[in-house]
Amino acid sequence: MSSVAMEQQQKIHPHKFTLWVAIGSLVMMFAGLTSAYIVKRNQANWQTFDLPVLFWYSTGVIVLSSVTIFLATRAFRERAMLKYRRLLAATLVLGVLFIALQALGFQQLWAKGITLQKNVSFSFLYVIVGLHAAHVLGGVIALLLLFAKAFSSKKRIYNLVPIELAGTYWHFVDVLWIYLLIFLMMIR
Amino acid sequence: MSVATLHHADVHGAHDTHHEHHHHETFITKYVFSQDHKMIAKQFLITGIIWAFIGGLFSVLFRLQLGYPESTFPWLEDIFGHWAAGGKLKPEFYYALVTMHGTILVFFVLTAGLSGTFANFLIPLQVGARDMASPMLNMLSYWFFFLASIIMFCSLFVQTGPASGGWTIYPPLSALGDASSGSKIGMDLWLVSMAMFIVSSLLGGLNYISTILNMRTKGMSMTRMPLTVWALFFTAVLGVLSFPVLLSGAILLLFDRNLGTSFYLSDIVVAGKILPNEGGSAILFQHLFWFLGHPEVYIILLPAMGMSSEIISVNSRKPIFGYMAMVGSMFAIAILAFLVWAHHMFVTGLNPFLGSVFVLLTLLIAVPSAIKVFNWLTTLWKGSIRFTPGMLFAIGFVSLFISGGLTGIFLGNSALDVHLHDTYFVVAHFHIVMGVASFFGMFAGVYHWFPKMFGRYLNNTMAYIHFWVTIVGAYLIFWPMHYEGLAGMPRRYFDYSNWESFKQFASLNQFISFVAMIVFAVQLLFVFNFFYSIFKGRKVTSLNPWGSNTLEWTTPLRPGHGNWPGEIPEVHRGPYDYGKDGNEFIPQTTPVGEHESHH
Amino acid sequence: MKAFLMVLLGVLIFVVIFQIAKASEYVSVLKGEEKTRRQNNRINAFLLMGLLIFGLIGVWYCNELYYGKTLFPQGSASVEGEKIDTMLYITIAITGVVFVITQILLFWFSYKYQESDNRKAFYYPHNNKLELLWTTVPAIFLTVLVVFGLKYWFKITADAPSNALVVEVTGHQFAWEFRYPGADGVLGKKNFKLTTSKNNLGVDFSDPASKDDIHLSNTMHIPVGVPIKMVIHSQDVIHDVGLPHFRLKMDAVPGIPTTQWFTPKYTTAEMKQRTGNPDFTYEIACDQLCGANHFAMRGVIIVETMEEYKKWLAEQKSEYATLFEKKEETKPVADSVAPKQTAQVLPAQK
Ligand code: HEM
Ligand SMILES: [Cu+2]
Ligand SMILES: [Cu+2]
Repeated sequence: MSSVAMEQQQKIHPHKFTLWVAIGSLVMMFAGLTSAYIVKRNQANWQTFDLPVLFWYSTGVIVLSSVTIFLATRAFRERAMLKYRRLLAATLVLGVLFIALQALGFQQLWAKGITLQKNVSFSFLYVIVGLHAAHVLGGVIALLLLFAKAFSSKKRIYNLVPIELAGTYWHFVDVLWIYLLIFLMMIR
Repeated sequence: MSVATLHHADVHGAHDTHHEHHHHETFITKYVFSQDHKMIAKQFLITGIIWAFIGGLFSVLFRLQLGYPESTFPWLEDIFGHWAAGGKLKPEFYYALVTMHGTILVFFVLTAGLSGTFANFLIPLQVGARDMASPMLNMLSYWFFFLASIIMFCSLFVQTGPASGGWTIYPPLSALGDASSGSKIGMDLWLVSMAMFIVSSLLGGLNYISTILNMRTKGMSMTRMPLTVWALFFTAVLGVLSFPVLLSGAILLLFDRNLGTSFYLSDIVVAGKILPNEGGSAILFQHLFWFLGHPEVYIILLPAMGMSSEIISVNSRKPIFGYMAMVGSMFAIAILAFLVWAHHMFVTGLNPFLGSVFVLLTLLIAVPSAIKVFNWLTTLWKGSIRFTPGMLFAIGFVSLFISGGLTGIFLGNSALDVHLHDTYFVVAHFHIVMGVASFFGMFAGVYHWFPKMFGRYLNNTMAYIHFWVTIVGAYLIFWPMHYEGLAGMPRRYFDYSNWESFKQFASLNQFISFVAMIVFAVQLLFVFNFFYSIFKGRKVTSLNPWGSNTLEWTTPLRPGHGNWPGEIPEVHRGPYDYGKDGNEFIPQTTPVGEHESHH
Repeated sequence: MKAFLMVLLGVLIFVVIFQIAKASEYVSVLKGEEKTRRQNNRINAFLLMGLLIFGLIGVWYCNELYYGKTLFPQGSASVEGEKIDTMLYITIAITGVVFVITQILLFWFSYKYQESDNRKAFYYPHNNKLELLWTTVPAIFLTVLVVFGLKYWFKITADAPSNALVVEVTGHQFAWEFRYPGADGVLGKKNFKLTTSKNNLGVDFSDPASKDDIHLSNTMHIPVGVPIKMVIHSQDVIHDVGLPHFRLKMDAVPGIPTTQWFTPKYTTAEMKQRTGNPDFTYEIACDQLCGANHFAMRGVIIVETMEEYKKWLAEQKSEYATLFEKKEETKPVADSVAPKQTAQVLPAQK
């Protein structure tokens, strides 16, 4: 067994690996919240609710943004920088749009009398969806930084890692949203 | 959480060559915003020591009340003003001290101070890496901890007092400002500080995991890693998976406190007011809390286990007995740690069947624990033992782990827990097995690696005094508490004099308080020794003072950023080849000889 | 002044220790570090042996001093608690043996195998058989403990016997309230929104069942030898009904009622004799931190004979009567509400 030499040359970039572990950690947080939700649902005094239509639009938007960031990464890899910048900008806009739609969705809910304090089920809805939106916001900030870098006139290093990290994270919040949406629809 | 740093494009740490070109180091980049894992480790350690001093001082203050409930101490009023009017602590203040003592020691000292120090210091050095996977995140991890520290420290001075609902902050007590003055602004600060702390732990943990998995030097397969690294790895995994759940619990609590939601609140009349909340469950919080809380106790214990294993092996001049069993048992403990949380909740009205499942899983933990103990004993057997201060503390660790682990078996059995829950028996259990034992692991680590950290030795005489007074004192303090617990004496009482059932322990309480003060004083001796020796200690002259196999001793006396001036050494064998084939020790960098025996 | 002198003394001791420590470092350099190290090694090995011996004596001595002060010499005051005592003895026996053996091995090995010139460390990296041995043996003992433990656990958590006497216990900052169902054997409904300073439990007096309920604060009376079922509520934060003498404990959680039941074996008077303590009292200790006066949240249980209990009960007035029927103040509830049904407050005889 002593002959087994291990290369330090890693297969996966440590930052990417770190991101995956971080994603595991975030999953635990949402798992904690959704299991609390399930536990509470089995108790008395639980009111069901319908999700606002806007959440469907926002779902479309975030899925689309996943596509654009995927294409952006590809463009970057092919060094089509102009295309990259455009796609990055598109992703950014879609991200902001997503957050705006969620906020409008909240407004709709509120107008229908589904307010934060009225029932535990509503409180959960706001906390879970809100926390997810906060994570999207984090992604938007990361994209903004990438974007600023793409336009900065300082020397450019061709480094794929940051955009790939942003891409992975972005897909994660996308998948997370789809999970949450299905969860909130199925388990009411 | 890691989002904010995604832009961080440089490939720091990812490539060995990076550190070879030196950039200018100013005081700020070297000592304050350092990205060198060794400096960050020292920052964690020193911040931890400061917190330990504060937390320990608090315990002396509240032990003063418990030991001498009838006396007054005018100087208390001089220091604390109205909180100690007439020279006697107010109950509100007593509970604030107890809460802060628990919070500080559990989170700031034995989590950040212990893991933060040794994971940062040892992981890159022992797996053969130039630095952490992401030195930037690592630095942020410390600064989030610092921020958490500052906020918690500020909370000590708010007018209504710091949080005072116990370190477990059960709502509704912690949710209602009307129920306790500590649940006013002090509690919000506690929660915000803890959120910062969680971010810090997560950033640290992510880094430790990816460093261990990705940045080991050539030849350092997982099964050749020292047990310290294994322990720190499991610790990080536990933290990364359990802290976010506490965070979600804390967020819900913040909502209940400030935005009128009812996650944890229902049917409450407090201070003459009928609250509108309905449908919440106070027990829900306990599930979320203990889902972290139990892994947390192992987050505290595992690093101490790992370091003690390492130190016992080095100083017995023998391989650790059953390396794979040691790793396997830590793995089992880590898994089980996630499956036993409700043993803290046997008397909350938990479904009895569910309770029985948790009894089974809880007592199952005793099996890997027993394996570890017997393996340590066998490691000592027929060794050639050198009692360095580090070794003494490691032996003390094993003794304490046995004593405290065995009382866990009492508590894990729900039928007994019904009598013992929330009595001094529990206080004795967790102080021995977690509090004191982990401190012993930490001291062992400090004494053992101080020469590597600072290039100097700690003073031996002071170290021996420190050890002997501490172990005798710790047993004198905590052993008799079991009897108080068996008599049903509740924990977290400010005064027992009015209780027919408990007042007979007044003289024992006094004795305990007296010993506690002596033990605290001896810790000051350690703190003094520590800071004195950083500057004035005897200089280390040999590269490998303990004759150890692991990689950290192949670095220069005072390694710079990047750890090894030349290439990172290659590893050819496991870390515990002590006494093999007549060699006293064979460093991991020594190639396997042709005629070497196999085991 | 005294405090100042104490601090001065402390500092002085520190300085002395520091000087000695420094001096011994120089001496060791003069004498030869290796020689000093070996000497230290012998001293510490010796001390570890001393720790073991004095430690075991200490454990025994501590038991001599304090066993008598625990609740175990007087025995459990409830029938169900006897099982818990048995369980405790089994656990003490098993863990005690393990404790003594492992601590002896730990310190004895440390002493015996201290560094020495005539012996080298024995290279012994693993032995699967041994490791299997100390996986299975603990597992077997733990199985025994789990089996006993769960058997008792299911007994004490089973539903209360149908003849149990029901008492509602409510905790609030910082006192206990007790409600007895009165002649009809049914507790009136409560609604926390009805709480006022007078109706401090929020009883819904429009419920007929509430009319004969009796409400008391801080002291409860129960008869000996009959199962007592406590239905536990809290009005504000989590409290805990801790009954050390009966070996029981249950949280009081706002919004979520809990229960526990037990059968008292001895009256308070009998316990005074058993313990030889004329002041003996069954106390309810709040066992869950509940705020500034948590430590003073004391309740008293008076266990009495059935006759005494009946007599006491007959003298109680219903809460409804106290609150709304001011004029009939002198009339005991048992007479005014349902005189013929008094017996039903008591458990049906089986
Ligand atoms: C054989 C292994 C162990 C078992 C079976 C066990 C069991 C238990 C149980 C059942 C409790 C709850 C007691 C109660 O509140 O009524 C408890 C409390 C506790 N245990 Fe352990 N334990 C074990 C080992 C450990 C270890 C290794 C640590 C820490 C390193 C630890 C730390 C704690 C702490 C901190 C508490 C008290 C928490 C609190 O209420 O403030 N235990 N243990
Ligand atoms: Cu636990
Ligand atoms: Cu209470």
